[in-house]
Amino acid sequence: MLASEAASQLAEETRLKLYRLMFECRVLEKRAYDLFMQNLIKGTSHLALGQEAVAAGFGAAMREDDYTFCTYRGHNHTYVRGVPMTAILGELMGRECGLMRGKGGSMHLTSTEHGAMGSYAIIGAHLPIAAGAAWSAQYRGSGQVAVCFFGDGTTNIGAFHEALNFAVIWNLPVVFVCENNLYMEYTPISAVTAVQNPAADRALAYGLEPILIDGNDIDIVYETATAAIDRARHGEGPSLIEAQTYRHGGHSRADPGKYRAEDELKAWLEKDPLPSYRSRLLSMGIDVATIEAIENATEAAIDAATETARNSPPPPVEIAHNDVWADGSSAWRN
Amino acid sequence: MNILMPQLGETVAEGTVAAWHKQVGDAVEKDELLLDVETDKAAIEVPAPIAGVITEIRVAAGQTVNVGAVLAVISAPGAAAADADDAESAADASSESASDAGSIAPPPPAPSAPKANTASAAARSERLKLSPVVRRLLAEHDLDPHAIDGTGRDGRITRNDIVAAIESQGESASPAVAAQSARPAAPVEGDRVDFDRTRRLTAEHMVRSKATSPHVLQAIEVDFAAVDAVRAAARGSWRRERGYSLTYLPFIARAVCLALKDFPRINASIDGDGLVLHKRVHLAIAVALDLDGLVAPVIKDAGDLTVSGLAQQIVDSSRRARERKLGPDELQGGTYTLSNNGSFGTLITAPIINQPQIAILSVDGIVKRPVVIEGPAGDAIGIRPIGILAQSFDHRAIDGAYSGAFLARLKELLQTKDWAAEL
Amino acid sequence: MAELTYRDAVSAGIAQEMRRDHNVVFLGEDVAAAGGVFKATTGLLDEFGPERVRDTPISEQAIVGAAMGAAMTGLRPIAEIMFSDFFAVCWDLVANQIAKTRYMTDGQCSFPLVIRSANGGGSRFGAQHSQSVENWAMAIPGLKVVAPATPADVKGLLAASIRDPDPVMFFEQKSLYALKGEVPDGEHVVPLGKARITREGSDVTIAALAAMVPRAEKAAAALESEHGISATVIDIRSLVPLDTQTLLESVAKTGRLVTVEENPRLCGWGAELASIVAEEIFWDLDGPIVRVTTPHIPLASADALEDAMLPSAERIVAAVRQLVD
Repeated sequence: MLASEAASQLAEETRLKLYRLMFECRVLEKRAYDLFMQNLIKGTSHLALGQEAVAAGFGAAMREDDYTFCTYRGHNHTYVRGVPMTAILGELMGRECGLMRGKGGSMHLTSTEHGAMGSYAIIGAHLPIAAGAAWSAQYRGSGQVAVCFFGDGTTNIGAFHEALNFAVIWNLPVVFVCENNLYMEYTPISAVTAVQNPAADRALAYGLEPILIDGNDIDIVYETATAAIDRARHGEGPSLIEAQTYRHGGHSRADPGKYRAEDELKAWLEKDPLPSYRSRLLSMGIDVATIEAIENATEAAIDAATETARNSPPPPVEIAHNDVWADGSSAWRN
Repeated sequence: MNILMPQLGETVAEGTVAAWHKQVGDAVEKDELLLDVETDKAAIEVPAPIAGVITEIRVAAGQTVNVGAVLAVISAPGAAAADADDAESAADASSESASDAGSIAPPPPAPSAPKANTASAAARSERLKLSPVVRRLLAEHDLDPHAIDGTGRDGRITRNDIVAAIESQGESASPAVAAQSARPAAPVEGDRVDFDRTRRLTAEHMVRSKATSPHVLQAIEVDFAAVDAVRAAARGSWRRERGYSLTYLPFIARAVCLALKDFPRINASIDGDGLVLHKRVHLAIAVALDLDGLVAPVIKDAGDLTVSGLAQQIVDSSRRARERKLGPDELQGGTYTLSNNGSFGTLITAPIINQPQIAILSVDGIVKRPVVIEGPAGDAIGIRPIGILAQSFDHRAIDGAYSGAFLARLKELLQTKDWAAEL
Repeated sequence: MAELTYRDAVSAGIAQEMRRDHNVVFLGEDVAAAGGVFKATTGLLDEFGPERVRDTPISEQAIVGAAMGAAMTGLRPIAEIMFSDFFAVCWDLVANQIAKTRYMTDGQCSFPLVIRSANGGGSRFGAQHSQSVENWAMAIPGLKVVAPATPADVKGLLAASIRDPDPVMFFEQKSLYALKGEVPDGEHVVPLGKARITREGSDVTIAALAAMVPRAEKAAAALESEHGISATVIDIRSLVPLDTQTLLESVAKTGRLVTVEENPRLCGWGAELASIVAEEIFWDLDGPIVRVTTPHIPLASADALEDAMLPSAERIVAAVRQLVD
């Protein structure tokens, strides 16, 4: 069932915050794309271009000390917790200024001081981990909530089912967010899933309310997120939300996404959350200058961050031996 | 050229200069007698290896030095360069700490002669199984593995053996202590023939056997007339039916098996402080492999066989031995050994015990001799086939009386048994 | 001192730490109300209540994942995986997530958790419930690996593991659960990374783990009384971190090493020890390094078959005698 369109009762301030976050995500992700094309980012990268509304909508709805867990397509989810652009770009380029000094890379962006408890590269693994963080919050009575982002492909792996069942029976403060971009890597999700809506249609199996929303409408995302996080925070247990969206690029940088029909792509590009929301803001009477100020500031910020990150040296080789253990070493013997 | 104290026995580490036959300044011919050297077991004369003049005598008569120590120096025309080397390294060696084994033994030999020794000792040591710690200790203490008894399996040198060897060399733990070389000091001329595997294994076994068992030789003469009579009677038909001749050996083997029943301590092995008496007789018969080695195939349960059975087994195993077709269980597990040297007509042999047995019997030539035959009418001279059976026994296990009694029983059996019935 | 069984030492160790630190929590299948399928965790639910001692569904990935999430956010969880063979079911969470995340995040998080499991054979449960799998854990950088042989070490090493800031894989040998032993009174903590010499000898060093330790001791006694061979026996007990110094010092003295491993042959922990010894004290070796292990087969269920495959005291004696010439 589609959630009804939320009444647009959100304050202007909130709306501008939502736009800014989304715009920053877009600019950041686009810069990652450009740097990869310039061979400054090595390996691979999984870009979430087109899916910004989900990360930004939830990011704005969270408390500072809430936990997020996301996938390897998690640059945006990490950024919206307040992590500096320089640190993210530096990590993607494998530099000393990187968020993990180059030891983790694109797929593992983590900033525990911001509550970004990791980006996870094995499908489904982080769902039980998010449940564990939620258990910890519940045990300590801190009121913290864990928000866990994953894709449509995750709904078919074992850990998804274990984590949902587990979270429900222990009534854990965790919000599971499925970003359904219609493709499990290169394969249409509909071809490999027993139900039509891969997350929402499974909610009842775990005693949860099915929640299916337009993941490209940030107002709806924000309202839905706020409600679910609130419920969790007040001891009402977990939620499972399916947000429909679409990625503009391929699965990873190696994938040009040619398996998608041209008209499908075209239709979704027309529903690009950024220009849609910009139009909505203007139609609500927000001054274009305000919007442009946000955009210019963001462009300047990304350029500055790019410059700083590019000038940062590669990390010293010695750190490859560090931090296997809590004492900072990697020693396995005396 | 340096004249070195030779090795007078396998486990001997020292020698005493008994007497010099030359003095400093004397000229010597090659092979001319230079000095006498002795240990408590042996004495030998040491000839001059080259012609020349004696320029130094370093060890006086009556003094004891380690094997390999420099006794004297001979200077020869054309050997001047070598002498210079010798002198230099001898000088170097003498500046190293001398051993305080209670003698004024000069320091270790200069490189020229022993260099060859060390190099080939190293080459030979590669063929010995030396564990890492043994190699290290050998190198650290400059020891020759061939001079060290191995108490490990198959004579392997263990770490404890080296440690014991080092300790037994007395207080001188100095690495300058001379390596013991098994070869005599003088260079040996001639073509070298490397030991093959059989020869090597034989050599190792013989050394170990002699080192393990105190051997005593005891011999008895036996009159083989009775055996001969039976052999003569059976000769033709035997040869025809079986394709081989009936020799003395199966009779002797049979007599040995019977005698062993009455003397169980000979059909035995030593285990620590005791004797293990083997219930069954597994007789090993030494077979010469065409003058090219020795094997001793074992006839299992020989005690259950008659002379005929033994004859057949002996022929079979000898043939297989010569064809190199013996299986491993045919070469192990013997409890007593017969060594048949008769074909060469030798008088007597002192055989080496086949470990872990405690005795071995050699059969040598059986020849017609004039003997005194006692008769009712008095003594007369007769002609009899006489052979000497010689037993080497391990004096840890048994004494001469026991061995002698066994030999007497053997003699009695061979001379008086109804051998015709045995065929 | 008190006499405890190996299984009772488990709950004693957990209880000691749960009393001491309110952040210690415990989850697993049938661990709370039933006290564990091996009865190793009885009494804990009664003492600490259902918030701290929790029964889970049959969801190994969720159990281990939840332990990880809790550990990275302030708790010190103990998770039970009922049979160590089941690590294969949740190995991603152990090997890819728990083991690597601290490193990948440049030290931003740590995982003070313990995963305990019942390991090894001898109980006639068949191949899927009987393998000794410490080597699976040893092979992954980022996991500490512990395998006690005595009740005292169960309690002491479990306490140390719970206090350890890093993930510890705690292998209890199920065939030892009934073993009785003296356990010190009061707070008992045995540091990780220290091997235990159970007897000193001069001819050979026998290194053993868990259920193989009593067999090695039995063999050493027989070697001494019947064959005049004097053996040192080392209970390795902590595989990561490994006490190589105790091992190297001993083998340098005896010149010989025999390992006794319950695991199937390939890549067992003894192979790593052999490699270290061969590399670092080669020049002290007086003979080859010998490993006495279960053959490289799954374990059969029939008692006659299983007993014949697991290393016995007799096989250890034979191997040592062969080695010591």
